[in-house]
Amino acid sequence: MKTVIISGISLLTFLFMNASNKSEEPVNKEDLGKLLFFDPILSATKTISCASCHKPEFAFADNRAVSIGVNNRKGTRNTPSAMNLRSHEAFFWDGRAATLQEQALAPIENPSEMNLPIDIAVGRLQNNRRYNNYFRLIFNSRPTKALLGEAIASFELTLETTDSPFDNWKYYDDSTKVSEAVRRGFEVFNGNGKCVKCHFGSDLTQNEFRNIGLFNGRQLNDSGRYAITKNRGDIGKFKTPGLRNIAITAPYMHNGMFKTLKEVIDFYDNPARKVPRAINRDTILTKPLGLTRREKEDLEAFLLSLTDKQFLKQTK
Amino acid sequence: MIITAIALALAAVSEPNPLVGRWETKPSPKGNVTGLYMKADSSFEGFFNRKPFVTGTYTYKDSLLSFVDNGCNRTRGLYKVIFFSEGDSIRFEPISDTCTERRNGMGKTIMGRIK
Repeated sequence: MKTVIISGISLLTFLFMNASNKSEEPVNKEDLGKLLFFDPILSATKTISCASCHKPEFAFADNRAVSIGVNNRKGTRNTPSAMNLRSHEAFFWDGRAATLQEQALAPIENPSEMNLPIDIAVGRLQNNRRYNNYFRLIFNSRPTKALLGEAIASFELTLETTDSPFDNWKYYDDSTKVSEAVRRGFEVFNGNGKCVKCHFGSDLTQNEFRNIGLFNGRQLNDSGRYAITKNRGDIGKFKTPGLRNIAITAPYMHNGMFKTLKEVIDFYDNPARKVPRAINRDTILTKPLGLTRREKEDLEAFLLSLTDKQFLKQTK
Repeated sequence: MIITAIALALAAVSEPNPLVGRWETKPSPKGNVTGLYMKADSSFEGFFNRKPFVTGTYTYKDSLLSFVDNGCNRTRGLYKVIFFSEGDSIRFEPISDTCTERRNGMGKTIMGRIK
C-alpha cells in the first residue's frame, strides 16, 4: 500500500515537473529571449540577469542612479528602459551599438555588469540540455553568439506600450482621456518648453545625440558620445532618451542625477543655474526657458500621461 | 425652389473634403504601420504603430495639402495629393517643403483609407 502511495506521488511529481517544463518551453524566438533575459546563467557569478537592472516594474529600467552588477560592482550610467525600442536607431547612452542584437550582448561581457565573456556564455548554453534543446527547436541550431543576441533582442522588441492616457486621447480623438493640465502641458511641450525639438516622434525621441549641459570636465566628467567618435563636437553629447513611461523610470539623465521630474523640468528651465560652466551645451538651451510655475506643473502632468496603463497604479 | 437653390449653393461652397478620415500604410517588411487621422476641423494626427508621433493643422484645396506640424521647426509643407483606386488610396507629391526628413518620408508614402 505504502509503495503504491509513494509511486503515485512520484508519478504526480513527474507529471507536474513535465507540465512545468512544457509551459516554459518557448514557441518562438521572443519566448526564448524572454527566458534568457530573466536567467542569471549569463553572468559570471550566475546571480545577475538582464532583468536585475532592467526591472519590469520600472518599465524595464532601474530605480537606482546606477545599477549594481556582479560582486556588487556599480555601473557608470543610469540603466535606460528596455521598452519601446522599435523606433530606435542607436543603443546605449553613447550610441555605441548600432543594432539591438549588438546591444543585447554587451552587458553580458561588461565587467561592471554580468562580466562573462560571450564565448563562455555561449558555451554554458551549449552545455545546458534545456537551452540546447530550445535553440534547436526555435533556430534549428545549437546556441551561438548571433542567435543569443537575436533571441534577447526579439524579446525586447515585444516590449512596446501603446495604452497611455496620451495615446488614447490622440488615437481615439477623445480629449476626456486626459486632464486639462495634460492638454495644456502638451502645448508647453511643443511650445515654450521646446521639448519637442529633441523629443519628437512616436517614442518621443529623434534618436539624436545632444549635449544638454551636464558635462563640465570636472565633477561631471562623462564625455558621452565623444568617447566613441573622438569628434570634439560630440563632447558631452548623449542619446536623447524616449519619454514613454518616464514617470516610473526615475532617477533621470545619463547619470541618474535628478530624482524627480520636477527637478528635470527645473533643470531645463535654466540649465546654467544647476551646472554653471557646462562645456558645449546645445544652443537650444542657451537662454533660460522662463517657464511659469503653472507651465511646469502642466508639463509634468503631460509627462505623467505617457505612462502605460499597466504601470499607472505605480504613479498614484 | 429657393430652398433647392440655397442647398445647391451651400453644397458648392462646402464640398466634402476627401482627405477627412483615417489612412494607413501597409505594414513595412519590419511590420511598421504609419497612420494619419485627418479631421474635419482642419487638424490632423499622425501615428506610428498606433503611437501618436505628429500633430498639426492643414488646409486642402484643389488637390493641394498645406500643413504645419509640431516637428520640423513648424515649417510649412505643401504637397499635391494624388488619389487613386477609386479615391481609397493616396500618395503625396512634394511641391515645397524645406524639411528634408519629412519630404523624404512623405514622398515614399502610400496610404489606404480605413473604413
